[in-house]
Amino acid sequence: MLKRFCGATWLAAALLLPALPVLAHHSFGAEYDVNKPITLSGVVTKVEWTNPHSHFYMDVKDDKGAVVNWKFEGYPPSVLYRTGWKRDTFKAGDTITVFGWRSRDGTAWAHSREVTFKDGKKLFFGPPAGTGDGGDTPPVEVK
Amino acid sequence: MISRGTIAAALLVPVVLCGQSAPKSAVPRAADGKPDLTGVWQGGSTRRGSWEEANSGTGVGGNGKDTKAPATLPSNSRPPGREPAPYQPWAAKKVLESYNNRAVDDPTAFCLPPGIPRTTIIGLFPMQIIQTPQQVVMLYEYMNVFRVIPISAKHPDDMEPTYMGNSVGHWEGNTLVVDVTGFNDKTWLVGTGTFHTEALHVTERYTRVDKDQINYDVTMEDPSVLTKPWQFHSTLMLREGTRLREYPCAENNLDPGRYEKLLKDGVNFQRKP
Repeated sequence: MLKRFCGATWLAAALLLPALPVLAHHSFGAEYDVNKPITLSGVVTKVEWTNPHSHFYMDVKDDKGAVVNWKFEGYPPSVLYRTGWKRDTFKAGDTITVFGWRSRDGTAWAHSREVTFKDGKKLFFGPPAGTGDGGDTPPVEVK
Repeated sequence: MISRGTIAAALLVPVVLCGQSAPKSAVPRAADGKPDLTGVWQGGSTRRGSWEEANSGTGVGGNGKDTKAPATLPSNSRPPGREPAPYQPWAAKKVLESYNNRAVDDPTAFCLPPGIPRTTIIGLFPMQIIQTPQQVVMLYEYMNVFRVIPISAKHPDDMEPTYMGNSVGHWEGNTLVVDVTGFNDKTWLVGTGTFHTEALHVTERYTRVDKDQINYDVTMEDPSVLTKPWQFHSTLMLREGTRLREYPCAENNLDPGRYEKLLKDGVNFQRKP
């Protein structure tokens, strides 16, 4: 069982956030499950500043001490830059905590929303849940 | 020689100005007297200020520094009160199908050009306008696409269907009117699944109402799928100090493969019709 932190708190916060999907590159709702928020702490093993999405990988210890390497997805580099990230903001070896939502396939892969650093600083690595999957109201009315 | 009256008037000016609420700054003008649209802009927003100031909320692209700040406006979630897109009944069903499939058929998931007006209204990426008397150039960070819009020119005779269409512009008073046609049928307009045919004709109106804001009013006509011209209104907000960056979308695009696998594996990700 993977360690989860503040799950209920984050879930509550996530439910309070307004749904603000935009026409972005891809569909959150197809790939990720808004009903599966997750918060994990671990050690960064790799960062990929790539388009259309950046990724980072993080070793997370489960309750028995086994290490699982998780993959997290987020904004492209240009958006990360404008959100406050620089290339040296984090690197392999750093310990961080990540909040996001798990992928629908149930593997060690998630959409990363917020990263918390050891000094308590927080930055968004990806958009809110629901981005790019159509929003709450369809563009048309079908009678 | 400066008269006492002049001095008195000069002293009065700041008093009068200070007594008013902060005036919106004037519309910058080009050398030819036209409103100058030159600058870096953010679509889908109504907030003034730098990119960081205007995107301090927790919404899409925001930095979360101000949790009470409004987010960048959604561009595909139809806001309350906005009329539905005027699709013919058969076409509306097709749009709804894309919505229920959570946009897995989104052309931009394949890193294809987003078309017009979609490219203009996306708020996550800035766009830049460079205006000369002869042409207006629009550069978009999203998908790194561009438009070169000649002023007072006709559409060429040898157009072939394209993602971004062919644009020509002219001035109507203080408004730049851009006529866009020559589209292919592979882009979405405003919102998930909002497809169109090659008959699409878009008319964009850019009106810089003050230093910070361009009103963007667009009319989409496509009698093959719409019941009437579809009008959409948005704004572009000046983002001084922001520069366009690279967005090579095809660099590591994993999404089409993921969608294919989801469908193949029968994963239940769809909305219920």
